[in-house]
Amino acid sequence: MTWVARNRAGWLIPCAVVGALLAAVPQRSRGADDPRDWLQKMNQALATRNYDGTFFHLSEGRVETMRIVHRVRAGRVSERLQSLDGSGREFVRDNDELTCYLPDQHTVLVEPRPEHGPFLGSLPQFGADVNEFYRIESLPATHILGRAARVIAVNPKDQFRFGYRLWLDEKTAMPLKTQLCDSRGQVIEQIFFARLDMPESIPDSDLAPAVRTEGMRWVRQGPSHDSASPALSAYRASELPPGFRLTVAGAQTIGGASVPASHLVYSDGLATVSVFVEAPSDAPGAGARVTGTGADTGSSAPAEPPMQGLARVGSGFAFSTVVQGHQVTAVGEVPAQTVEFIAHSVKSSGGADLPRH
Amino acid sequence: MSEQIREQVSAFLDGELPNSETELLLKRLTRDGELRESFGRYALIGEAIRGTTRGLLTKGFSGRVNLAIDGELIPVNGHVSPLRGPRWWRPFAGAAVAAGVAAVAVVALQQRAVAPTLRGGAPVTARMAAPMPVPTREAISYTVPTTSPAAPAAMPPARLTNYVFAHSRYSSGLDLRGVIADLLIEAEEQQPAANEAAHVAP
Repeated sequence: MTWVARNRAGWLIPCAVVGALLAAVPQRSRGADDPRDWLQKMNQALATRNYDGTFFHLSEGRVETMRIVHRVRAGRVSERLQSLDGSGREFVRDNDELTCYLPDQHTVLVEPRPEHGPFLGSLPQFGADVNEFYRIESLPATHILGRAARVIAVNPKDQFRFGYRLWLDEKTAMPLKTQLCDSRGQVIEQIFFARLDMPESIPDSDLAPAVRTEGMRWVRQGPSHDSASPALSAYRASELPPGFRLTVAGAQTIGGASVPASHLVYSDGLATVSVFVEAPSDAPGAGARVTGTGADTGSSAPAEPPMQGLARVGSGFAFSTVVQGHQVTAVGEVPAQTVEFIAHSVKSSGGADLPRH
Repeated sequence: MSEQIREQVSAFLDGELPNSETELLLKRLTRDGELRESFGRYALIGEAIRGTTRGLLTKGFSGRVNLAIDGELIPVNGHVSPLRGPRWWRPFAGAAVAAGVAAVAVVALQQRAVAPTLRGGAPVTARMAAPMPVPTREAISYTVPTTSPAAPAAMPPARLTNYVFAHSRYSSGLDLRGVIADLLIEAEEQQPAANEAAHVAP
């Protein structure tokens, strides 16, 4: 329910569709061991409990140690996620605002995030549409951190999306270990806790950033109140991998640019791909997007040249191409072929009337 | 890395390390980059051999690897600890064994649908070999071209950070966790592009 409760405007429609499907499709008998029930318990635990834990994030043989602090007090959610051994980066969420401290880039990014889900994520309810592309099952129980754990697998049915394995604490349903897997079941990324406490209360000091911000640039980005230009708004993916559909179409200020990009979100109900369509930097009124995160004016610095190609971003991918002179970039925690597929299919559709976020 | 630390790492990965020792290991890992690298390798190889490479490595193969490495165990007090049992990664007593197992992991990982790549905007080598087909449930064929060290640079990490940060607003499910974690990880320096698949257009 947590996922639905996030109340992201753009997700209301798909959530309603999922809910309707859940009501319409006959449910098989679900007992206490039903893996979907356990996923809902996990969602509930992640969103409502206080927790303070240290976990390892492993990807491609590289390990990062991170600390998560999550507090719910009088309905107000505060969270802090901190890299302990690498970049010194920190994310701090105070109810409806997310601040990302990037000391390595001398930048602080700030974005409004009303009703945002927990940093550790959660899974949506599995309606018929999701079940068409993912198979959910229980695996043999085991022990982890000295605690009995349920093991749940969410397996993708094709190669356009990733799956998960989750080790859930038998008592609290907190995810003690999670793996992101490809369609062959091979691990791409995993997170496992070395320590996880669930205290009654968490002091404010544990939620305060440790980063010194003197001399850092503060950049506010987020959904733009201004619409993207009609030319940008006309772009859509003309073909999509099975199960993906457009869920959000709106404008987004990227990196302090003066003119918003068109931001399209495609989802299969679980995996999500963002597509950004930006005007050429030399176009009238386009505003130059400057190199680096710390752009705060976007108007006087030299413009970046267009990009083309595939890049890995953590366990997901980004793919950039140029379509009719516009920079099109697809980003998502999905296989490379999915972002490539979507980006390659983006075309100007001539101004469709679609919901904004 | 000392034998004691190896023991701790392997016990932790088996979920058998006591909480008090876990705290110590955690402190070591936080300040010891080399240990983190070893830890990551152990975890990666462990996953490659245990169940997560289904279809690539046979059960018999894993067993043979286990047996081979068990044979390298140095008995403690005359016997191998029955409490923790045989752990294939624990001793890595000889470089040959380590190299052999690492090679297995590398081979296994090379079977992945996505090419192993770099963080923070470095390019990958996988590229569509043909125009995008109509969506199907079948695998899309990829060609991994040879590396071209003279190729130009790829997407700037900071620019990618902006996209990922904007995307994280709409990440659903556990994707959000991964996206957020990825954002926390320092972007590596740009490395030479691997091929023309990722470049800045003139």
